[in-house]
Amino acid sequence: MKRLTSLLAATATLLSMTALASAAETANIWVRADGSNFMPQIVEAFNKSHENQIKLDIIPNAELVQKYATSAAGGTAPDGLSLDLIYTPAFAAAGQLEDITDWAKSLPYFKDLSPAHVKTGTYKDRIYGLPFSADSSVLIWNKKLFKQAGLDPDKGPTNFAEIAADAEKVAGLGGDIKGFYFSGACGGCNIFTFTPLIWASGGDILSEDGSKATLDTPQMRDAIALYRGMVDKGLVPEGAKTDSGANFFAAFAAGNIGIAPSGAFAIGALNTQYKDIDYGVTFLPGKDGGSSSFAGGDNFVVTKGTPKLAVLKEFLDYAYSLEGQTLLASRGSLPVRGDLAKEALKDLDPRYQVAAEAMAKGRTPYSVVFNDIINSANGPWAQMVNEVFFGDDVDGALANAQETMQGIIDAGTGQ
Amino acid sequence: MSSITAKAGAMPSQPVRRRAKVDRSHWVGLLYIAPAILLVTVFFVIPLGMTAWMSLHNWPLMGQHRFIGLDNYLAITKDTRFWNALKFTLYYTVIVTIAIFAVAFPLALFVEKPRPMASVYRTAFFMPVVVGFASASLLWAWLLNVDSGLFSPAAQQLGLTEKKFNLIATFNPAFWSIIVMVVWKVAGFTMVILMTGLQSIPTELQEAAKIDGANAWQRFRTITLPLMRRTVALALILSVAGSILAFDQFYILLRGGPRNSTITAVYWIFNQSFVSFKLGYGAALSMVLLVILVVLSLIQLRLLRNPEGT
Repeated sequence: MKRLTSLLAATATLLSMTALASAAETANIWVRADGSNFMPQIVEAFNKSHENQIKLDIIPNAELVQKYATSAAGGTAPDGLSLDLIYTPAFAAAGQLEDITDWAKSLPYFKDLSPAHVKTGTYKDRIYGLPFSADSSVLIWNKKLFKQAGLDPDKGPTNFAEIAADAEKVAGLGGDIKGFYFSGACGGCNIFTFTPLIWASGGDILSEDGSKATLDTPQMRDAIALYRGMVDKGLVPEGAKTDSGANFFAAFAAGNIGIAPSGAFAIGALNTQYKDIDYGVTFLPGKDGGSSSFAGGDNFVVTKGTPKLAVLKEFLDYAYSLEGQTLLASRGSLPVRGDLAKEALKDLDPRYQVAAEAMAKGRTPYSVVFNDIINSANGPWAQMVNEVFFGDDVDGALANAQETMQGIIDAGTGQ
Repeated sequence: MSSITAKAGAMPSQPVRRRAKVDRSHWVGLLYIAPAILLVTVFFVIPLGMTAWMSLHNWPLMGQHRFIGLDNYLAITKDTRFWNALKFTLYYTVIVTIAIFAVAFPLALFVEKPRPMASVYRTAFFMPVVVGFASASLLWAWLLNVDSGLFSPAAQQLGLTEKKFNLIATFNPAFWSIIVMVVWKVAGFTMVILMTGLQSIPTELQEAAKIDGANAWQRFRTITLPLMRRTVALALILSVAGSILAFDQFYILLRGGPRNSTITAVYWIFNQSFVSFKLGYGAALSMVLLVILVVLSLIQLRLLRNPEGT
């Protein structure tokens, strides 16, 4: 009898143990390599304080969309994904994502979430993505070089004329030092940093709903004239012509560049990896002042039909907490909760405030064919920026890009 | 081909009692080639069939596919960017094939003759062939880099150019850089093929011609070239097929740039399939390219077949 009791007790213990084990679930999520400065940290913090666990895979930026699409087709997609927000409409349109409208709207702080993220996370009035990480485009300048060139190191340029003048002064230092840098063969970089110059001047490259390309505008031509002028004067390194994005950040970090349009991520990266660079952060200006920014970052999306939805909700709740938002901010991702932004940033580098303000004012183009028209290395936008910055035929380049872009938009995703 | 038919035609004249034996060896032969047939079926015939099937669908990488008949093929006729890519591919094929032969033939003549260190030369010329195209492209991506590479900084420091010259920023320097790289990479392979052809020419013929007073050029034109017809055909077909399918070097080195001027046909198929996620359309493009390639190969075989028809 005694033996039987102990056997029963042992069985019971065993059963409760397996019950416990099965209660703690593990959800698999992916993030693009851009998120490798903050994602592993927040996942680690979550796993330490929660029973349910997150398993994180970091995927190279350029491969994320393809890899996700192929694994979704093969049935091995991760449960959730931190996805470049501009891809959310295309993924939702393809029917890959779980409709999370009810969950999203039940969040008490839903109205305070980054509007750019929620806008791109919405497809046909349903919500498929919630803001996760945020990055806004800003202008950064090298204070040391400004000082050497006789400029006020604490005053960044506030309009096109000042950008050109400051860049020329810095380039005047000679040697390997150049005034201005941009990745001239990179569509994604230039939608992030070049279009805000157009927006701040009052123009746009796409209609509000993304159905019309509007490339040939006076504002576009002003911004092109700014870049072309600097290229003509030799203020821009020769390598910019063929930089497909590899040097987007590295060029400025090397310390030879006076001014470069960049993103909030650069603050985190410069502070942690290039501590000797003394830099300032300001808004990307319009032709005669004003400012704008590209509100970028990642939406968190859920793969359709995943059984781990509860774990993902728990993880996102944690990321949205003050603790999570502060942790993300300290690693270079701006807060996505407007109501917590001030508090999450209060102990951090004050330059984040500029980026956070830019984020709040930032814009994001909406298009289900964003990859085809803008980001693709061989798309019309990437081709156009290279032609108009360095080529001989601005009119032809604009007309050609306008036609190709509109053609792709009209053909849709081929659905 | 024709010799096989000739043998087959001779079969019925064989004595009847050997027939059973022939049948059995027939089956044994089939058994021997079964693994090859299996491989070809699994890795070529079935994928080809699937490609053909997919090309009749609207088949996005994500989401549901549906049958659309020949719509993809109709779309191809209007796809100017594909035809431009094909035009560029043909231009590249012509240039690179001429360049490869122009380098490989002299090399073959050079290493074929017994001379001191002949095998060292052969190995040296063949070495780049064993490097993968992707690795070779990465190596050259560094060589061609304007800031940290070799050519541009070297030219500047030697005083050849006043400032750094970005070799891959405009079409012609970029295109010719690729040609040089491909010739460096592939010429050794063509050289080996041509060398075996040269070695199969009986020395008596050359000697007889020499005695008859033919000079070197005459011997090359009337003996070497005609007797190498088949070898040249093989090298040509391999080179043309390889060039029409070129992708790695343009993708890795130039990313289709400057300004999308070096997008090859395969590059366009890749973009349609894996950037725009239109797998069905990519499959249709692949079928079109396959047909073009088969036609080109047939033309070459016809032009280079033995005139006697043996």
